[in-house]
Parts: sequence; structure tokens; C-alpha cells
Amino acid sequence: MSEERLHVSEGTETMIDVDQVWFTYPDGHEVLKGLSCRIRRGEKVALIGPNGAGKSTFMSHLNGVLLPTSGRVLIDGMEVNKSNLTAIRRKVGIVFQDPDDQLFCPTVFDDVAFGPLNLGLPREEIEARVREALAVVGLEGFEQRSSFHLSFGERKRLALATVLSYRPDILVFDEPSTNMDPLNRRNLINWLKASDKTILLCTHDLDIALEVCDRCLLLVDGRIAADGPAREILYDRRLLEENQLELPLALMTHELLHGILHEQEMDEEHRQIIGRFLHAHRHAHGPDGHVHVHLHAHDHDHSHLHEEVDERHFHEFEPHDHGEGDHRHVGIPHSHVRRDGAGRDTGGGGESSPRRGSRVD
Amino acid sequence: MSDAVALDIDRYAHLESPVQRWDPRFKIATLAVLVLAIALLQTLPAAGLALVLAAFLLGLSNLPARFLTHGLGFVVVFLLPFFLVMPFSYPGAPAFELLGLPFAWEGLRLALLIFLKALAIVMISFTAFGSTRFDLSMLALQRLKCPSVVVQMLLFTYRYTFVFLGEMRRMYTSMRARGFVPGTNLATLRIYGHFVGTLLVRSFDRTDRVYKAMLSKGYRGELHSLVTFQAVPADYVKTAAGLVLAFLLLSADRAGLWVRAETGWF
Amino acid sequence: MHISEGILSAPVLTAGFAGTAVLAAGTMRRLDMEEIPKISVITSVFFVASLIKVPVGPASVHLILNGLVGIVLGWRAFPAIMLGIILQAIIFGHGGVTVIGVNTLMLGGGALVAYGVWQLRHRFHLRQRELVFGALAGAAGTISSGLVLALALVTTGEAFHAIAATVLAAHIPIMLIEAAVVGACAEFLQRIKPDVLAGQQLPRQRPVADSATPPSRE
Repeated sequence: MSEERLHVSEGTETMIDVDQVWFTYPDGHEVLKGLSCRIRRGEKVALIGPNGAGKSTFMSHLNGVLLPTSGRVLIDGMEVNKSNLTAIRRKVGIVFQDPDDQLFCPTVFDDVAFGPLNLGLPREEIEARVREALAVVGLEGFEQRSSFHLSFGERKRLALATVLSYRPDILVFDEPSTNMDPLNRRNLINWLKASDKTILLCTHDLDIALEVCDRCLLLVDGRIAADGPAREILYDRRLLEENQLELPLALMTHELLHGILHEQEMDEEHRQIIGRFLHAHRHAHGPDGHVHVHLHAHDHDHSHLHEEVDERHFHEFEPHDHGEGDHRHVGIPHSHVRRDGAGRDTGGGGESSPRRGSRVD
Repeated sequence: MSDAVALDIDRYAHLESPVQRWDPRFKIATLAVLVLAIALLQTLPAAGLALVLAAFLLGLSNLPARFLTHGLGFVVVFLLPFFLVMPFSYPGAPAFELLGLPFAWEGLRLALLIFLKALAIVMISFTAFGSTRFDLSMLALQRLKCPSVVVQMLLFTYRYTFVFLGEMRRMYTSMRARGFVPGTNLATLRIYGHFVGTLLVRSFDRTDRVYKAMLSKGYRGELHSLVTFQAVPADYVKTAAGLVLAFLLLSADRAGLWVRAETGWF
Repeated sequence: MHISEGILSAPVLTAGFAGTAVLAAGTMRRLDMEEIPKISVITSVFFVASLIKVPVGPASVHLILNGLVGIVLGWRAFPAIMLGIILQAIIFGHGGVTVIGVNTLMLGGGALVAYGVWQLRHRFHLRQRELVFGALAGAAGTISSGLVLALALVTTGEAFHAIAATVLAAHIPIMLIEAAVVGACAEFLQRIKPDVLAGQQLPRQRPVADSATPPSRE
């Protein structure tokens, strides 16, 4: 593989390089329209976008289950094409939304061993990898069980183990947190945060995106409509709402309470309670991205709370914040975002592709 | 709509017994021979012996009796008409008339023979597949030269049966919740048609996703397994015993046939 | 409808297995890798759908749906039904292991006949074409299965002639039920997702399979 890397100058750093990818289904349905993005090794990126924007089609391009109609996808410097699918699929692991799609073997062991067995690894190696992958997701001792007798949360974790067992460098998750109970979801978030792999998270759960990812791609109508730090894109109410998304719940709660605090007549006791909550919340989603909720706001006075909650989250919600000098890379004109026919004929893709975020250039 | 059915045939495969410990390849091959021998029996005493043998095997395997109720129930329901029709329709001279219908003992004998054989075979078949984990049974079949693609499809089908049974139950519950009551009428049949259609549409989307997931994990049309079967001397002994019993059953049956030809007994 | 163990003679059982082997080999020719999960998953739907009971007065009958398998899977209906029969024999003891051959030939053969009837629809211009031909295919699937079953019984011995007639007569109400269900289902599928139905596959993007030679395992 080393010789294949040679002709990519910055190849050691860029893990996923999607370059002007267009994809049309045989029935004429055009899904990807000049999609471009780059993801570096070790980055954790959220891919968000409304239903039908092309997220699943895009994911299928990352391991060559679909090949672009035009444009190209490079994984760790290798162009995805028919001749190197084995190597590509070894590098890119996709965890599907419905674990039942991914668990098709009779036993847990067989499911986790499926990938390594297809790689033709020796028995000891396979057994070691299965043990390791099951340990990661906390399913040790489940080897001889049948996947269809596991709970949904267990199956979801098992689906991750079946991908981990062939040790991909890149992990792509399709809606990793749907239908998960809070504990499983929390464990998943912690695992994702601690992982050193390159991670692409395709999700409508913007809270998990906010907590795990340092960068966010907004996919709208087959193109990247915005690319930038997760904390900026996911805080941009206008951008999200224009694209049939809404603020992460964590921020919405915050905003709502903040509005109440400002506008409504209320007695001091309630004001104190809300103030404490906001303070705790601010800590929970603070700039370092770690969850440590401090409920010790009782020693702050009210005016102090106001200062604390104000400064960071809300100036971004003001309208007309998308000027040229803006660092948020919201590159496309608003006509693009509209779902009607008028927005689609903006043409050849080249000039309409979004500006690259500073992080990838 | 459908009774509560237990799909996992191997829910008692973990029990400890000489039948469970038997190497699945040897077990399936031996019991297949035994079952074929029973299918060929033509005399009542031999069929009775076969039933005793089947009951002995079942007892040996520690499988609970209720494990078989569904399968045996099917045999009874299917064969009931045989008891009602065959004694009255057997060609040749009837023994006497019952309610104006000619009754032939030979017809009743035949119905009883079929009934005994069917019970014995179903019992042995449940013992064979109930005492082995399903995937191991299938792998054993593959080692016994059953085509790999068929074995693969059996495993996948079995696995997704659980998914669709759950889906079907949820859909049916929601139908009942909206006031659907099945009756003997065209409207019910039409709704069942749409019901099955909905299941099919969902499964069709799923086939695509399952295949993509398989491809993503390097599938190339083969299902590999690390399972290895290791036969021990006891497996050979059990197999030899089974084959001898099958031979003895057939011999007793042929002897019985000769006796019947000579004396008219049985 | 399955035939039970213990009834048929050795030559009939053997003929069942032989016929099934030949037809299975023929209908599984040029099986694409993609079809392995596809046939399996769709077979599991039919497997659970055959657990549906339809009330008939005070009693109830199970749906067979072999005609529907025919119009959904075309030629591949035969291997699908074979899988279903094997699993039913193993899991439920419906039918049984010695009659897997005869039962597959009976229901799978019926499915192929149903597929043939279904394909004739192109020659007609009716308003409710899918409903009519779905119903015809459902009926054809049932009644041809009934005929194969009757034939197996008649071949086994003279003593079984009356039972064969009884069985065939019992297939007539079942045939009407199947016709109604399969017709409604075909019309539904034509309206909702026509590419589920055999013989009219729309252009579709096939996932790209890895064509490299698999690593050998000893």
C-alpha cells in the first residue's frame, strides 16, 4: 500500500478525501451533486443533514459499496475503485443503523468473526480479535449466544464489535444512538470520545454530535452546505432550521430557559432555580467538551448568573450573522437550501461547491 | 392470527445427555438412516418397535415432552382424516358394514401403521435437531456434502425469521388496536393480502441493507466457520448401534411380512 | 398443505427427492452472490406469513402463499420454498424429513406454475390486471400443489385413491382463500412497490461486490 500513498503529497494526514463526487441512481435520481470534503486522521466529524440529503448514499461511497458516477473518493491516499475494494473495506468500517441488518450469523462469535474470516486470518488471530472486540463493547462471554436473543442495546453494541474486529482505521456510524437507552447511549458517547480512530458520525441526534465531534459537515441536497467546528454549526439556529434541523436539545433547553429568565415576570425563587440550571448546563457543555455537572450555583448571586449564561451561546442566534468575514464557512446561497426545483438548477457544481473550512485547507 | 410459536428449535441443545454429546455429523447421518428405515416399514409390530425406539431416544435426550406437542399435534390433525376415510374406502371385500358403509380392517390397519410411523419419525427428527445447536446442525449438513449455498441460505433464513416474526406481531397488534377483527369474509382476506404485502415491502428494503452490510465486511459468497467437529470413540459406538437398530427393524419388518403372507397375521 | 410422514411409499419418496434435486439445480442456475441474502430474507417473510391463520367458520387454516412466492421470486421461488419446507420440517415437524422432497416438489412446483400464470398478464389489457392475475396465480399455485399431492397418494397405492379425492376436494376452499389473499397482495405491491414483483425489475443500482479471489483457508 505504501507505493499507492506516494502520489498523494499530503496523504499521511488526510484519511478521507472526497473530491467532486456526483452520483446518480439508474432511475435518474441524482443524489450526490459535486460533494467534496476532506477528513484528517483522528478527526471526529459529524455529518448532519435532513432526510433525503444523501447521507446514506455518501456513506456507501466511503467503502465502495457504491462507486461515484463522476469524481473520486480517496481513503488514506488510495482511490476507491473495483480493484482495491478488499483493502478499502479493511480500512473503513461502517456501523449500520439497524443492528439486525448487520448481524446475520447464527452466533455472536460468528458475527464478530465474519470480517476477520473473510480476510483469511489464522484461527488464533481471529479468536483474539473476537475476544478483544467483545471486551470493548462489554459483551464478553456472549460468544455462543444467538444475536436474535439479545436486547436491542446489546445488538447495537454487538454490531459495533463486528466492525471493530477487523480493525478499521476509519469508523463510520449511521445513527449510532437511535433507540438506545440513556445508559447505553452514555457509554457509547464515552467510547467515541476516547477512541483515537477517525470517526464519521451520521446522525440526527445533534446532541451526540455536539458532545463527540470537533467538526461538523452539513449535507444538503447532495452537497456540503456548511463545514466548520461543531460548536459553531450546531449553535447556528438559522442555518439548522433552514435545513429542517433544529438546535441540539441541550442548547434548546438552554435558550428556552434563558428566554424565560429575561422576559417573564417571575419571583426570585424561580429565577434562582432556572439560573442554577443554566449554570450547571453551561458547565456540562463547556468549552472543553467534557461532562461535569456542577450543581453548586447557590453561592452565586443572580446578576452573576446573568453574566455567566449570556456571553457565549446566544450572540450567534442573532440574524444577519452570515457576512463575508464570517469564519463559519456557510458557503452556499440560500436558494440552494430550498427543496423546490428553483434551488436545484444552480448548475455545474464547480462554482457552487462550498468553500472549504479552514481546518482542512 | 398465529399461535405463540417457539422458533428456536435448539432451545434445549444445552442439556446434558449422550444424545446432546453425540457428534452432530454422526448423529444426523445415523438418525437419517434410521428415519428412512422407519419410512419403509410395512408391518404394525415393526412400526410399534420403531415408536418404542424413538421414545427411548427422546427419553435419553432429556428433551421435555412439551417440546414435541406442536409437531405431534400436526401429525394427529393431518392423519385424523386417514382414520375416517381409509377403513371405509379400502378396495376389496369389507369385513362388515358400519352405518351403511363398508368397513375394512385392512384400511384401519393401514391408517394405524401410517400413524405409528409418522409419530416415530417426528420424534426422532425432533430429537436430532432439538439436541444440537441449529448452526452446528447446519454445519454438520454441510460436512455431509449438503451444498454450501443451501446451508448458507438456511442459516440466513432462520436468523431473519426471528426479525420478521417480531415485526409481524407488532404490525398485527397495531391492526387489532385499530379495531381489526378477522372473520370469514373477503374483507379479512384482502387485509391479510395487504398485510403480507407490507411485510414484503419492508423485507425487500432490508435485503439491500443486509447485502451491503455483508459486502462491507468482505463477503464474497462464502460463509466461513471456525467450528471443527471432533469425533470420539463413543460417537462411533452410538452410530454403529443406530445402524444396527435400523437394520434389525427392517429385518423384523420383512420377517413379519413373510409371516403375514404365510399365516395372514398382523 | 403438507403431506405427513409415514404415508408415501419408498418409490414416491425417492421420486420426490430426485425431482426436487433436479428442479432445485435448474432453478438455482447462475445464482448471483447478491441473491443469497435476498432469497433468504424473503423466504423468512414467507415462513412467518405461513403462520398466519385465516378463520374459516369455527376452524382456521394457515395461509400457504406458494403462489405469492412465485410471483415475487420467479424461478427462484423453487429454492425459496425448498428452504421453507426444510425449516418447517426441522422446526415444527410440519411435513417431515422424509417428505421434504415430495413437499418441495408439490409447493415449489405450484409456485412455478403460479409464476407462469402471472407472466401471462402481459398479454392482456385489463383494468385490474395485477389483482386478476395475482388471484389466478394464487389459485393456480394451490390447485397444482393439490394435484401433485393427489398424484403422490394415488401412486402410492390403490388404498389411497379415496383419500386423494378427499385431499383434492379440501384444496378448493383453500384455493379460494389463497386467490383472494394473493390477488389483494399483488395489487397492493403493484401500487406501492412494483419492483418487489417478479418479471418487471426496474433499473436498480447494484452494490459493488469485491471480485478479488477470496483468501484460501485450509
